[in-house]
Amino acid sequence: MQTLLQLFEPVQSWLFENLVLPLLFHTGYMSYAEDAFSATGDFVLALAEIGFIYLLLRPLETWAPAEKWEHRRGVRTDVIYTFLYKTGALPFIFFLLLTAPLGHLDYTLRELGYTPPNLEELVPWLGQYPLAALLAYIVIIDFAEYWRHRLQHRFDWWWALHAVHHSQRTMSFWTDDRNHILDGLFKSLWLAFIAQLIGASGSQFVGIVFVFTLVESLSHANLRFGFGTVGNRLLVGPTFHRIHHGIGVGHEGGQRGCNFATLFPIWDIIFGTANFTRVTPPTGIRDQLDGVDYGEGFIDQQWKGLVRMWRALTPTKSAAK
Amino acid sequence: MALRRLVFKLLLVAAILPSVTHAEIAIVLNSKDDDMSLIDTTTYKVIKRVPLGKEPHHLIPTPDDRYVVVGNAAGNDLVMLDPSSGDIVKRLPRIADPYHLGFSPDQKWFVITANRLDRVDIYRYDNGNFTLAGKVPLPKTTSHMAFSRDSKIAYVTAQDSNQVAAIELATQKIIWKTSTGKEPAGVWLTPDGQHLLVGMTGEDYIEIFSPMSGKSIKRLKTGKGAHQFLPQGDGRHAFLTNRVENTISIIDMQKLDVVESFRVPGGPDCMELRKDGTELWVTSRWINRVSVVDLSTKKITQSIHVGRSPHGLYFPTHAARQ
Repeated sequence: MQTLLQLFEPVQSWLFENLVLPLLFHTGYMSYAEDAFSATGDFVLALAEIGFIYLLLRPLETWAPAEKWEHRRGVRTDVIYTFLYKTGALPFIFFLLLTAPLGHLDYTLRELGYTPPNLEELVPWLGQYPLAALLAYIVIIDFAEYWRHRLQHRFDWWWALHAVHHSQRTMSFWTDDRNHILDGLFKSLWLAFIAQLIGASGSQFVGIVFVFTLVESLSHANLRFGFGTVGNRLLVGPTFHRIHHGIGVGHEGGQRGCNFATLFPIWDIIFGTANFTRVTPPTGIRDQLDGVDYGEGFIDQQWKGLVRMWRALTPTKSAAK
Repeated sequence: MALRRLVFKLLLVAAILPSVTHAEIAIVLNSKDDDMSLIDTTTYKVIKRVPLGKEPHHLIPTPDDRYVVVGNAAGNDLVMLDPSSGDIVKRLPRIADPYHLGFSPDQKWFVITANRLDRVDIYRYDNGNFTLAGKVPLPKTTSHMAFSRDSKIAYVTAQDSNQVAAIELATQKIIWKTSTGKEPAGVWLTPDGQHLLVGMTGEDYIEIFSPMSGKSIKRLKTGKGAHQFLPQGDGRHAFLTNRVENTISIIDMQKLDVVESFRVPGGPDCMELRKDGTELWVTSRWINRVSVVDLSTKKITQSIHVGRSPHGLYFPTHAARQ
């Protein structure tokens, strides 16, 4: 990871010293210099990662698509989501919203005598092996993400937001960031809570986000191949995740869906939600076939998501109307 | 006779050998990589990188020079290093948010600024044991500290509330608190104890206060992002890093004036000075390097690549802190 980051160091340093730092100095926000330096690095890394993913997956989608589309117009909005989330515009807003309450929580916990533990403190040898520590954090966060995903499908109001993600009927490698902003905020809160619980640091989060981004882009790609019988059970791939997005299978039934895992299908296997059948269902939500509109553009999708959530939270009033 | 001469020479070589082959190391804390770089100060090569803990920012030798104490701000622990090898000797867990660290001159107090928690934690220090004496809340983002010569008072900056405060160590009471320019960070007491110098990271000057009353005496223009001090060891001059201007100013602590400034790239931050005063080592945070300055020419002679956002820096044979 460090070697990868070193490749982009000169760009990060140049951008920071020539654009970001003068801006912070002149606006009186120098105390955010270190956070901004990291964010600049994350921004550069995100651009590089988007470029890498595009160069790798776009030709593959042309060569071996799971679904053949007449055009890729439906993908365009997802490109906007990708840049808003990955390059930091939306995470920046979340940072502004969450810094004060999380800081207060941190302070209160410490005053009560609670100092967050570290995984490395519980398992000391991990402290000497950063890669092993990173893997351990990834496994724990993936487990937490599995359950967050289950809850997104379980609660009607949360599903109303998450449906923005599932309403994509031309699912491609750009789709992983297609999420309602409020849903994104909940995710940030959830991850901050997990980080507080297990003590993952900012530098570890860079590596964690990098791995999740790569796998999630790949798992959403419009590809008709997976990783084989064994591989599909080790890492979430395009065929496994396509079933999760499939009309009629991905978000219906007793468990309200299947294949919820982000990185490791083991969670689905353990909790009985795995579906390894070799099918390639069309993606989307069943009621879209009946003409229900989940929105076309970014604003439209966000607004309709809020309306759906409101209706889910106030079912009687909606029914009375 | 020849044999005796040979034996004598061999003994001489044996006596000299350890000091020749045993290179000194510099310890550099890579705050964004959670590790440290150990650098051979003779060859300027990084010997190795060693994982330390989460967000190591500052470090300080114990009064007996037996250990170097590193504060892992996000890891909530202190790490004790062997200063000659950099080996981790032990960890002190459950120390909340140790950002900047300091021992009082009389070696009885150990003080931590808990930067994220907006407070100062004061420990009694006795023969290697740390006992929490009290926590002193300050408005926002406690940053750096200095001590009075008699070890009775700690002066602490509060970066985001633009304040500096004097705290009595024995009672953990705030004696005075005063407003400053934007983003006060590094703080240094002049050798005569008459002036408190405070680097204003959000401005282009240092502000000078009376340590007795907290009254502002003078603003001295240095460079944008005035940040951290290190005395030159002669009892009169101090270096000051200007993180935005990318310069270091030399300040005359008697005349309260800037003698000269020279360029150091990449957001210069913490410094260490060779005992003979020939070289100044500086962490250049935004380019992930340690810059070595030849003080006779004020030119960078070495630029050593370390980890991300290098911050604290230390080597044992440094100039006196006066």
